[in-house]
Amino acid sequence: MNSLSRYTGAFILLIVLQLLIFSNIEFSGYVNPYIYVMFILVLPFSIPSWFLLILAFFTGLVIDLFSGTLGVHAFATVMAGFVRPWILTLNITSEVTDPDMSPSLYRNGLRWFFFYTVTVVFVHHLTLFLVEVFTFSNLFHTLLRVLLSTAVTTFFIMLFDFIRPRR
Amino acid sequence: MRSLLNFLLRFRTLILFLILEAVALMLIFSSHSYHQTVAYGAARTVSGFVSKRIEAGTNYFRLRQVNEELVAENTVLRSRLEALEAGAQKQPLTVDDSLSGISYSYLDAKVVNNSVNKQKNFITIDRGSLHGVTRGMGVASATGVVGVVVGVSPRFSVAMSLLNADFRLSASMARNDYFGSLAWDGLSHRYATLSEIPHHVTVTEGDTIVTSGYSAIFPAGLLVGTLTGDLERGGDFLSLKVKLSTDFKRLTNVFLIGSLNREERQNLEVEVTR
Repeated sequence: MNSLSRYTGAFILLIVLQLLIFSNIEFSGYVNPYIYVMFILVLPFSIPSWFLLILAFFTGLVIDLFSGTLGVHAFATVMAGFVRPWILTLNITSEVTDPDMSPSLYRNGLRWFFFYTVTVVFVHHLTLFLVEVFTFSNLFHTLLRVLLSTAVTTFFIMLFDFIRPRR
Repeated sequence: MRSLLNFLLRFRTLILFLILEAVALMLIFSSHSYHQTVAYGAARTVSGFVSKRIEAGTNYFRLRQVNEELVAENTVLRSRLEALEAGAQKQPLTVDDSLSGISYSYLDAKVVNNSVNKQKNFITIDRGSLHGVTRGMGVASATGVVGVVVGVSPRFSVAMSLLNADFRLSASMARNDYFGSLAWDGLSHRYATLSEIPHHVTVTEGDTIVTSGYSAIFPAGLLVGTLTGDLERGGDFLSLKVKLSTDFKRLTNVFLIGSLNREERQNLEVEVTR
């Protein structure tokens, strides 16, 4: 199986999981996990940053079209795609042996992957919730939503990465 | 020219980033007044189709609850019919012109998509312009007020939910007719806040809150919720916490309310206040 079909499969699986299950989680309005960001996280180290941005925009737009929030997810996901290379360079401790590999818990270690995931997810959720409410009033309420949702999203992404095929 | 090209090449990621974010912002602002997203009709039809399939599955598990609510509503309607018939026999209705007093029309509908976990929640309904739905129609369920239609396509329409930070409803206390403005505070999907109630009004836990009928979207006296007794004294007015009578988490059957002479009423109001 080549990498194109692998990533396409991951994309469709994450979008379907997001729309059918995670978008329907309603836990007191504070927890809205958006696990589709995992697609941005698992793209290979070597991906050109302009291509990453285009993919991020497209991913966000697909979620937007299905949840009636045109532009909001696209904005947040492009932001996540923009910070990903920075976080990767900040954060490379072990040398990357094969740049075509995708970042994972298995190869890069639990601590590394956790830090990487939590940072990108936090940037995405912060942007998303701020753009969604479009106001800085009630900032504490918004921040609480960001923190709780980031925690839950990170948990699920770590879990999915743990059970995904090791290749 | 060469240095410009070099510049563009060097900052191509940043420039692409800015362009994409600008496009996203344009999309957000152009869809801000929600009906404009009807322009994305194709996507709407696809997602409406998918939501409808999902809804068909989940509906099955709610049949018992829905049945109970329908029985309850039937009982209420039956008793109202009984009262009307009894009244009609006493004094027959002789008026037969367009001012006969019928001012609202009703249309049943099903919810095909719904959310309660965002700050701006919308509800998709399986009735559209083909069935006579227009913007500005009210949406209610057997248990109370639900929202207002803000976008219409041929087969679907989208209503702004009461659980939307932009939603305002003119509501009054059924016991003493004091009216105020009802809005959602964005926290729990079971509660909303009724503000602009004068200080001297006595507030009792369990008091019924109904629509005032001032907006010409909903008829007066439609159930909204009950007071929890929690209140906030700020400025000149009281803010009362209202427990909503509709459980937005399991909304399936709703009906659309069209006001037959809303236009006439609004035209007059605009004309006089201008």
